[in-house]
Amino acid sequence: MTTDLPMPRVGLAAEHAPKVVRVVLNWGRRYSLWVFNFGLACCAIEFISASMARHDFIRLGVIPFAPGPRQADLMVVSGTVTDKMAPAVRRLYDQMPEPKYVISFGACSNSGGPYWDSYCVTKGVDQIIPVDVYVPGCPPRPEALLQGILKLQEKIAAETLSSKGIRTKYAGRAASAAEVTRPSLAPPGRQP
Amino acid sequence: MSDDDSVRTRAERGPERRGAATDNMSDRTMDAEQPEREPERGERGGLVPGIFKGLATTARAMVTPSHTAEYPDVLPDLPPRSRGTIALLEENCTSCMLCARECPDWCIYIDSHKETLPATTEGGRERQRNVLDRFGIDFSLCMYCGICIEVCPFDALFWSPEFEYAETDIRDMLHEKDRLGEWMATVPPPPALDPGAADAAEVTALSKPVRPGRATPPAGRP
Repeated sequence: MTTDLPMPRVGLAAEHAPKVVRVVLNWGRRYSLWVFNFGLACCAIEFISASMARHDFIRLGVIPFAPGPRQADLMVVSGTVTDKMAPAVRRLYDQMPEPKYVISFGACSNSGGPYWDSYCVTKGVDQIIPVDVYVPGCPPRPEALLQGILKLQEKIAAETLSSKGIRTKYAGRAASAAEVTRPSLAPPGRQP
Repeated sequence: MSDDDSVRTRAERGPERRGAATDNMSDRTMDAEQPEREPERGERGGLVPGIFKGLATTARAMVTPSHTAEYPDVLPDLPPRSRGTIALLEENCTSCMLCARECPDWCIYIDSHKETLPATTEGGRERQRNVLDRFGIDFSLCMYCGICIEVCPFDALFWSPEFEYAETDIRDMLHEKDRLGEWMATVPPPPALDPGAADAAEVTALSKPVRPGRATPPAGRP
């Protein structure tokens, strides 16, 4: 039996908040990113390394670890997303409260990586959820994740608070990995 | 030796190495198994020595410098051969497509066309050369194996330790040749040879004594 909870959304007052309030709220958002690690393969080791004492991403305001997706602000998908795992990724993403951010960490979650030609590998996690920052590498260095986090924080600082912007992230999505890199594999009728 | 014996020997060894907290923990689990053993010093000490012990640990940790790498302020000291990104020296590329063929991920895109050069001398033959139109590496797909760099016969590709190119759009992860060329500035110089290493093949060939030339070429050769 599932519980049908309403999705927490940004309130109406926040949508029409003056600029000063927006700056303060964005400042709060970018420095308290409760992170939820979706570790699926070896990239998760680098993620753990970034969370430990040597690289310690709590310095940047990324708080490890959220007890679950309902408490998380940021999901880091690190590793190969298979077609069997993809529904779980989508489901846990849907459970996160808005505003929510996703970092795709490593070649496998960016676009399938070395396994893109496999029958069972999702060709990039951005085919199922919107991704904010792509971190390249196979696996990326822990510092590369920190740079991706800095990039995400810049993006959060620049965003407006309206949930309209968040909704367009679903609808008017820029592009997915497969559409860009493998146009010949796109389904017919969607050729760019 | 039975299991019980081994437990007793470990418990007797315990007091010598009771510095770490984990050892105290294991001692306590031993106590549960062997109630007849006499209590140790820390257990007799009571509350106050325990507080001082904890404060001493805190004070020691406070004066110990942390080993956290302050990344955004201090750049990491990367080894020269670290695999951050791939740089392209465009002048060296002959668009021979070896890298694109050998790439296990097929993440290198090359377009080129042929150009006819006029003969340099009178009556000479016109020459053709390849002109590189496009050289792209899709870093969202690249697995950083370095096969393209190994296989390049003209040294057009190099490792660069740069790693700071996270993007917010997947399309920007496909680096075209101008962006790949910008990485060339970050390519470190090749590391020096080991102290006992043999000389390079070119040096060996040059240092050989010149053999006296033969008067006539041997028969059967043009």
